[in-house]
Amino acid sequence: MLRCSFCGRRAVYHRRYAGVFLCDRCMIKSVERRFRRAINQNKLVNPGERIAVAVSGGKDSVACLHLLHNYCRGKRGEVVAITVDEGIKGYRDGSLPLARENAEILGVEHHLVSFKSAFGATLDEMVRIAAKRGTGLNPCTYCGVMRRHLLNQAARELRADKLATGHNLDDETQAIMLNYVRADLSRLYRLAPIYAPREGFVPRIKPLREIPEKEIGLYVLLKGIKVHLAVCPYASGIHTEIRDFLNSLEANHPNSKFMILRMFEEIRPYLKEAVPEFEMRGCERCGEPTSTRLCKTCELLQGIGLAKRRKKLISDGDS
Amino acid sequence: MAVEVRVKIVGQRSTRRVKVEPGTTIAELLKKVGQNRETVVVRLNGRIVAEEEPLKKGDLVEILPVVTGG
Ligand SMILES: [Zn+2]
Ligand SMILES: [Zn+2]
Repeated sequence: MLRCSFCGRRAVYHRRYAGVFLCDRCMIKSVERRFRRAINQNKLVNPGERIAVAVSGGKDSVACLHLLHNYCRGKRGEVVAITVDEGIKGYRDGSLPLARENAEILGVEHHLVSFKSAFGATLDEMVRIAAKRGTGLNPCTYCGVMRRHLLNQAARELRADKLATGHNLDDETQAIMLNYVRADLSRLYRLAPIYAPREGFVPRIKPLREIPEKEIGLYVLLKGIKVHLAVCPYASGIHTEIRDFLNSLEANHPNSKFMILRMFEEIRPYLKEAVPEFEMRGCERCGEPTSTRLCKTCELLQGIGLAKRRKKLISDGDS
Repeated sequence: MAVEVRVKIVGQRSTRRVKVEPGTTIAELLKKVGQNRETVVVRLNGRIVAEEEPLKKGDLVEILPVVTGG
């Protein structure tokens, strides 16, 4: 039997990049410590702040909700949960109930916003139209842009000081690699633990950024937290290739993911000068902040013959 | 003498029987069945274990895919 390097109890995990074995208790403590360290080192949360957490029902966002809820208990702050229903049949319908259930268990205020009610179509419907029109864009483009758009708007309407997402070490290193491959300096620059672009944008924080995805999986299993473990049916192409590449790199060369993140952090301060500054204004169509005439969401919607409805996502009595 | 262990991927119906040399670790078994250890958590006879744990005859190895990527 393999034993914990710290307390001698039965090991549940070999953390190869650190050369240690961990038992269930030490594993849980370690994840929670890393979460707190990320918050303190990067000043992600200030006392008394209202933090909106994007909760899909998947393990990362649900873990993030539980950890932030514990962190903010007492006088440190307040947590509200926002779930975006993109309208992905056979996938999101499985995770939504778990987002709601976890918020309920924790006694956290929960808000649901949907593509259908904001844009008049579900992601599934948009994908069908896009294919028919031959836009050449993949589902993740619509989904990513529009989900961020709704999360920001909902968080702002809820008067949140920060918007927290469950991005883990794997997500971050994948995004770093993807932006390298696409030579997208502006997007690369945005991959910080806290990113606060401008007025109109709620600063986004990523407190799980230094925790490998597998460890978050272990954490929710060990804590008995109920989550939705499924892969999005639209996941394909370069995203999955980069994910698989990084996982085989990590399997053969432990610590690679951390080194990729560290190297990026070394470089990031120098990127500031290379990234052009934008003048912010309101989107002509929907009023959301953007640097161009139309925001990216309205531009994408226009391409498939849709338009955003000009209305609040969160009704006034609701917040 | 090779021994037989049962391998179940959680979320899939069937349980496979795999022959391994005694003392083979879970990590080695994962390679053999084409699973990346960075993407799964493994339960050995019902308990979550480190992948360096060696296998013996009749063990039940449950593989839980935890990396969903978003
Ligand atoms: Zn321990
Ligand atoms: Zn717009």
